[in-house]
Amino acid sequence: MDHSTHTHTLAPPVKQFNFTSGLRITLIVGMVIGVLCLALAWFGDTDGHQTRFWSNFLHNSVFFTGIAMLAGFFMCASITAWAGWYTTFKRIWEAMGLFLVVGFVLMLIVGLGVYLGWHDLYHWNDAKSVAGDEILQGKSGFLNKGWYLFGTIIFVGLWYFILSRIRSLSLLEEKEGSHSDFRIHEKIRVWAVAYLPLAGFSSAAMVWLWIMSVDAHWYSTLFAWYTGASWFVSMMCLTMLVILFLKGRGYYSNVTDEHIHDVGKLIFAFSIFWTYLWFSQYMLIWYANVGEETGYFKHRLDNYPVLFYGNLVINFLLPFFVLMRNSTKRKAGIVGFVAIMVFIGHWLDFFLMIKPGVLHTSHAISGGGHGHGDSHGHGDHAGDHGHEAVGHAVEHASNFVSGFTLPGFLEIGTMIGFLCLFLFFFFSALSRASLQSENDPYYFESVQHHV
Amino acid sequence: MAAKRLVYGLYNDEEILLEAVKSANEKHIDIYDVYTPFPIHGLDPLLGLSESRLHIAGFIYGMLGTLTAFLGMTWIFTKDWPIIFGGKPYWAVPSFIPITFELTVLFASIGMVVTFYIINGLGPGVVNTYLDDRITDDKFCIAFDSNSMSDADAEAFFRRTGASEVHDKEL
Repeated sequence: MDHSTHTHTLAPPVKQFNFTSGLRITLIVGMVIGVLCLALAWFGDTDGHQTRFWSNFLHNSVFFTGIAMLAGFFMCASITAWAGWYTTFKRIWEAMGLFLVVGFVLMLIVGLGVYLGWHDLYHWNDAKSVAGDEILQGKSGFLNKGWYLFGTIIFVGLWYFILSRIRSLSLLEEKEGSHSDFRIHEKIRVWAVAYLPLAGFSSAAMVWLWIMSVDAHWYSTLFAWYTGASWFVSMMCLTMLVILFLKGRGYYSNVTDEHIHDVGKLIFAFSIFWTYLWFSQYMLIWYANVGEETGYFKHRLDNYPVLFYGNLVINFLLPFFVLMRNSTKRKAGIVGFVAIMVFIGHWLDFFLMIKPGVLHTSHAISGGGHGHGDSHGHGDHAGDHGHEAVGHAVEHASNFVSGFTLPGFLEIGTMIGFLCLFLFFFFSALSRASLQSENDPYYFESVQHHV
Repeated sequence: MAAKRLVYGLYNDEEILLEAVKSANEKHIDIYDVYTPFPIHGLDPLLGLSESRLHIAGFIYGMLGTLTAFLGMTWIFTKDWPIIFGGKPYWAVPSFIPITFELTVLFASIGMVVTFYIINGLGPGVVNTYLDDRITDDKFCIAFDSNSMSDADAEAFFRRTGASEVHDKEL
């Protein structure tokens, strides 16, 4: 197996990415599908709360915003660790990070919705529910609409600000630097070091607000880690697919099997990390068996068994056994297939985090035949929420709701729309600068990368 | 084992060594072995070494650990000595997972170390002969079997490819 990693006789890599009209049109068609599906969800509303529309919007906004945040996070971690292997394709992570400006707008819409009462995604945002609920009152110092909106603006804004600084310094380095000149790289490092704790801690707070508070009574201390791992794997899968796509179009001839191998290793390793967190969360709650904690899993096990177990099969067993061998991580077909499956798997994971809680909230706020909400206080005793979830379980078991218990066509279409939006913005950012970063001091280390 | 006489050259740098190995390949010279203080990227394919199968053994040991732990606990807690812990069922799968994981890692790692030692003839009390002390420190060595290559040819090869020293030794 003589690879051409050490030879430089290949044609020099293409520098300019051509965002062809064909690709643009394909992505625009995808976005139109997404808008159509959102519109259908809006006008097909049956519960008077636009629950399906807003939960789809939240689900995909959170998913892709987090991917952009983590692309920047992993890039900054690599910069801080003096890593060089990724330098040949670092523009991919830079461009992904720039999607945060769109993510900012998307999350701003959700945040304004919370602030102005456009939707009922969050139980804690319903004044009537909070009034009769000691638990929600106790959490109102954190779970309130002002903090949701302004926290989102401040933190997503800061993430974007730092990543755009790194991007412009990186482009400046390409223009003015040289491979032996570390001056601009040192500045990039300062921003990268600032981004790590900022994004690391603030993203946890955002995860609690955006996702975990959908189940307003429930909490888990490692939920932010778990969500972060899910974002991370999704980001790596998308990175892999984008690399394979660009290589297929003749770009990145200097991104070799060696780099693909390492991206594959990260998918493999972080799939296991995700499973570790999933299991740690599950087992502690299962073992402690405290009503207010177990409701979360009881509800999902009873009403979402396909997604619940499918989640583990797609996101753990598949990458674990397929990507275990060295050789499979180097074969574009196999690793690309796994990346697609695991990307979808983690999108389903977010579905499973968000949809059950949103559906529950919508029922609770609507009041009606569930015997809770206004009729009794949640905070009277700890096991109350558990009983409530069981009550729901009985109710939903015979009641399949497309779009809630399983993703329906509208969910899939919305996902395609958001993915195309992400890719459109990503490719246009990619086309605005040289694909190569030859004046990065680590460029040659990356070209010669060998695992 | 019959004594074998080896002619070997010592190089100061792994880059020079890699070039020398390439040169030997081009001239179809049969290299007996190459010794280096640390693994060198790209050397294995040049020497035509196939990928190690040690990790396959590791996978099998790991699976053995998984089965030992899981089936062992299943037998103990459901048949041999059933005890209720924390109100959980006898066959409490989630609580078996951490120990199953630990035994998988334990079996895989110990199994691979033992296999590695056996295959390479290493281990406590084993005395290994080697060509030169410095190949464990800062020298990179190519050795030829003197049955397949004359001393003069070997000497010429080492001089041409930039070896710093040439020696021979019976093993």
